[in-house]
Amino acid sequence: ITHREILEVNSIRERDKGISRLLNTGLDMESLSICVRLCEQGINPEALASVIKELRKATEALKVRSIHLELE
Amino acid sequence: MANLEHRSPNVLLQSLCCRILGKNEADVAQQFQYAVRVIGSNFAPTVERDEFLVAEKVKKEMVRQRRETDAALFSELHRKLQSQGVLKNRWAILYLLLSLSEDPRKPQSKVANYAALFAQALPRDAHSTPYYYSRPQTLPLSYPDRTSSTQSSGSMGSSGVSSLGVYGLNGPTPTPQSLLPGQTYHIAGVGDALRHQLGSRFAWTMSTAQPSSSNTSKGLPNSITRSSSRLRREGELSCPPDVKATLVRDILYVFQGIDGKCIKMCNSENCYKIDSKVGISKSLRDTTSRLAELGWLHNKVRKYTDQRCLDRAFGLVGQSFCASLHQELKEYYRLLSVLHSQIQVEDDQGVNVGLENSLTLRRLLIWTYDPKIRLKTLAALVDHCQGRKGGELASAVHAYTKTGDPYMRSLVKHILCLVSHPIFNFLYRWIYDGELEDTYHEFFVASDPTVKTDRLWHDKYTLRKSMIPSFITMDKARKVLLIGKSINFLHQVCHDRTPTAKMMAVTKSVVSPKDAAALFTDLEGAFQEKIDAAYNETSKYLLDVLNKNYHLLEHMKAVRRYLLLGQGDFVRHLMDLLKPELARSASTLYQHNLTGILETAVRATNAQYDSPEILKRLDVRLLEISTGDTGWDVFSLDYHVDGPIATVFTRECMSHYLRVFNFLWRAKRMEYVLTDIWKGQMCNSKLLKSIPELSGVLHQCHILASEMVHFVHQMQYYITFEVLECSWDELWNKVQQAQDLDHIIAAHEVFLDTIISRCLLDSNSEALLTQLRALFDQILEFQNAQDSMYRSALEELQLRLAYEEKKKQLEMEGEWGETEQKAESKRIHEFQQLIPKMCSQIRVCSHFYQDIVQQFLVLLTKSSDESLRFLNFRLDFNEHYKARDPRLRVSLGTTRGKYSSAI
Repeated sequence: ITHREILEVNSIRERDKGISRLLNTGLDMESLSICVRLCEQGINPEALASVIKELRKATEALKVRSIHLELE
Repeated sequence: MANLEHRSPNVLLQSLCCRILGKNEADVAQQFQYAVRVIGSNFAPTVERDEFLVAEKVKKEMVRQRRETDAALFSELHRKLQSQGVLKNRWAILYLLLSLSEDPRKPQSKVANYAALFAQALPRDAHSTPYYYSRPQTLPLSYPDRTSSTQSSGSMGSSGVSSLGVYGLNGPTPTPQSLLPGQTYHIAGVGDALRHQLGSRFAWTMSTAQPSSSNTSKGLPNSITRSSSRLRREGELSCPPDVKATLVRDILYVFQGIDGKCIKMCNSENCYKIDSKVGISKSLRDTTSRLAELGWLHNKVRKYTDQRCLDRAFGLVGQSFCASLHQELKEYYRLLSVLHSQIQVEDDQGVNVGLENSLTLRRLLIWTYDPKIRLKTLAALVDHCQGRKGGELASAVHAYTKTGDPYMRSLVKHILCLVSHPIFNFLYRWIYDGELEDTYHEFFVASDPTVKTDRLWHDKYTLRKSMIPSFITMDKARKVLLIGKSINFLHQVCHDRTPTAKMMAVTKSVVSPKDAAALFTDLEGAFQEKIDAAYNETSKYLLDVLNKNYHLLEHMKAVRRYLLLGQGDFVRHLMDLLKPELARSASTLYQHNLTGILETAVRATNAQYDSPEILKRLDVRLLEISTGDTGWDVFSLDYHVDGPIATVFTRECMSHYLRVFNFLWRAKRMEYVLTDIWKGQMCNSKLLKSIPELSGVLHQCHILASEMVHFVHQMQYYITFEVLECSWDELWNKVQQAQDLDHIIAAHEVFLDTIISRCLLDSNSEALLTQLRALFDQILEFQNAQDSMYRSALEELQLRLAYEEKKKQLEMEGEWGETEQKAESKRIHEFQQLIPKMCSQIRVCSHFYQDIVQQFLVLLTKSSDESLRFLNFRLDFNEHYKARDPRLRVSLGTTRGKYSSAI
């Protein structure tokens, strides 16, 4: 990978990050780059979005549960 | 980073799971399996893969959330992303991000999270309320805020699901189930289709039941609702629903330019009109006509493209303009098809009653807002571009990019990129290969096929001013012209077949529309650089070829040496040799004799060391003979030029050179004649001392001759130093610094013009030149007079000497010849009688001469050229003429003042 390509990739990352932030997707940099790669490999974005949402829901629920446990 | 690059989707997916759940790989196995299943079973997306539409959605969403600045920021980022072109699936990424987006105005509340938790306990039916509509290809019909509020009790962890997310995740996408541990997985089965159908019905009824307050007012009369409900309800309620449905249907047809049942094109007024028989309220009528405008605009654009598409003479630029218009229309049709399918679905389901989510005129008005702006822009473009083609068309489009509206600008820029693409293609073919493939005369370089190669540089290629696109400056256009012209010149005139790749480092000659787009972002930088580079390399190469292979500079020097008499020894010798020949009548001259003499002169002088390439071009030329001309009047040197050199030394140039040569030759001859006169005087003055009667005449002769010598010397000084050397130095400097052939040609022309005007050969100095000619004639006349005088004087001298001799002899013999003495004194007397005649002849000659000089000086003072006025000062150095003529008494300064005031 040449220096130029790295620069380009970085600038693309910046832009993706910018759009992601604007849309308030809540993805961090690493998740975002993983998602971008998946999309580039032709993954259906609809399905991916639903998966991410579900995963999030799961984490939320876990957190809540742990709070409940603490409370009890 | 690099190791992430080529990992398989599964590995990536797993790391994503880890990342989001915040656990290590072993703990996320369940979720990972779920993810793989969901993604694996939905390989193809169900929404259309259209990046543009998604981007538009994002912008709309943002505008809806009153985040206009963010929307602008987004378009900027999106544009940059597009321009880089590394990502292939930009659509997918955008879509994903949009699906995940949340409204920042609604902070994620913990409460909502708790709600999500508690929701699990709710009955299954409520939980599975399909907010994933099963409607295919729909637009966001339901207001997302409302949807989310109705469904907040549902399984949604986050509150602000965007409208697109709602309608987009439809069709066979399985309803994602909660991944909470301990719960059984409900994977969407195949038989869910029916349930979806039912579910959507349920959703429809739910949402239509929601705004019950407004629905209750349905049956009430207008007057009451107007005050109580919002205005927007008014129009829709004032007429029966079936009329509205017809109107919506009609409008959809009108959008495509097809007359509907009650909305028809009115040809006389050139607009769409609702059938006056249909009784609808004014506001509805207004809404309809506002919508119908879209159809009108569409018709206009469509008409233009239809007309032009088949017109082959419209050219490539025009065709690409039509293509870009078509592209835009296609987008528009896509929207229409979505609307149509919407209506279709409504018909199938018979849900026209569901006012909330069905198509209404008002909704159409909102949704077609953006397309309307687009179409308006297109229609304006079409109007503006009417009757233009080629570069002119590109200029017209370019004019429209200068708008402040970023939305419009990006649209027009896109069109401009497509339109200018053929132009850039022409341009690169031209500057890199010198080829002009412009069948429809669209490019700004025009070629005249009738021009022969010898005038190729001057006449063959011209700029078509009207076709220069406005984004290319005149300066650039000239350079572009010059580059291609140089290449063609090399190929056709210099027969130099070096491929352009060798001339310059840049070889790329094909552009894609993307490149054209990139060029527009950097019109001043990269594009300018490209043209400059091509210009520099080509011109340099051309000059190199001309100098090395065709010895341009050598020829220039040679012309200076031979035609402008720079080679003194040669000219002098040539004149010596030619003198007897040229003294004869012009009609008795033979070219071959003169050519022989010329060769002799070359061989005898330093000219022989010149290269044969130059010497063989040197020739004699006889001008047209008129009666009474001597050889001096018609003789001229010539220099043959051909091939590439002839481009600099054009025929006009050579005729200028001939005129200058004639002038210089004449002046040189005067110098030569005066030398002869002086020689004669020096020789004869000693001999003629023995005839004291002659001393007066001789003195007069000497005075006149030295006057002439002074004049001719000053003239020669002026010609050599102030005209030739100065101009030559200037020319040489310019030629050394020249960047292209045009510079050399221009410098050479300036040089010739200067010489012509300073040598008094131009039309302004005709009077001066006539005086000068008369003056030269006077010199010749003086020579004749003096010659005849000397002849008779020498004859007399000889007779006297012979007489003395005879007298001595007779004395020795002791005889006295009375008769002879008488004869001698009679002859002397006769000779003495002759002297006053000679005297007067010389006096007349001198008188004329002085008169002419005086005239000449007067004319010189009036001249605008400063060097000529200085010449005046030098010619009359002792102010002799100033004393004679009051007109000469004005000082230099005042003359100049007079001159400028005369202007």
